Amino acid sequence: MGIKVVCASVIGKSNNPLYIRCFDSTEEALKFHYIVHSALDVVEEKSTAKKGASLDLYLGMLYPTEDYRVYGYTTNSKIKFIIVVQEDGDSHDQAIKNFFRKFHVLYANTVANPFYTPDDLITSRKFNEELEKQVKTV
Amino acid sequence: CGAVVMAQKGARPYDRIGEQVFAKVDKINAELFTLTYGSIVTQLVKDYEDLGEVNTQLEKMGYNIGVRLIEEFLARSNVGRCADFTETAEVVAKVGFKMFLGITANVTDWDAEKKEFSLVLDDNPLTEFVELPESYNKLWYANILCGVIRGALEMVQMKVEATYVKCVLHGHDASEIRVVLKEILTDEIPASMRDE
Repeated sequence: MGIKVVCASVIGKSNNPLYIRCFDSTEEALKFHYIVHSALDVVEEKSTAKKGASLDLYLGMLYPTEDYRVYGYTTNSKIKFIIVVQEDGDSHDQAIKNFFRKFHVLYANTVANPFYTPDDLITSRKFNEELEKQVKTV
Repeated sequence: CGAVVMAQKGARPYDRIGEQVFAKVDKINAELFTLTYGSIVTQLVKDYEDLGEVNTQLEKMGYNIGVRLIEEFLARSNVGRCADFTETAEVVAKVGFKMFLGITANVTDWDAEKKEFSLVLDDNPLTEFVELPESYNKLWYANILCGVIRGALEMVQMKVEATYVKCVLHGHDASEIRVVLKEILTDEIPASMRDE
């Protein structure tokens, strides 16, 4: 009802992808990789646009494509979360904000693993499973 | 029915003692504790490379902690002498673990002679957030606990061996440490001092 997250990604400090996961088996993953990559430019724009004033972590909608909308969320450690959603009708901003918050907490828990080095690709099984659960309950 | 009530009254309320002591001790942030232990383990893995050796080192570190920790435990908990090894097990699980880690363990699987038991831990602050990479099957991540148990009990005249048999990081439901009583240490006059 309303929103369906079709792709979630975590991008590192130097805009290197740490994690990209697509939840829509009908579309080719490459298409989402491309969408996420283009979204990074918008993120840069939004981050540098506001001078001085503290920027809200949630960046809002980055740009719309024909079927999807792309949302972004950044952290002070320059880690970016980008999701591609399929929405019908009104934007469910609050639900998306909540999703990002939980996504952020999930990321923090994964980083807390002493065997994970920050800026590595995220291969944690727990991360995958939890993210799946959250995507289902958006 | 009467017999059951009597048996329950006979058992000392270690759970309650454990909670009382836990309430009195200082606490630190759990994440800091978990991350500190995590960095110790990863550093050991880098230094020693052989996982079996890391297990041994963790156990040795635990032993050094245990021989000192027991004094703190005895001073704070005011638990008297244990009548037998089964009581020792309960005290370790309910008071010891509660006081220092904030969790209670369960004592199970006694052998026929009451010289061996298992400590089952449902959750463990040391392993919070940890995921072992695939090649680390030989590593007992929280092996330091085995050393702590061995060191602490040695100072109260019990020589035990504690080893991990199951660990949540290896996919099991709960972690399990097997504790085996090797001997009760009694003070013996060394041969050189005996008057012969």
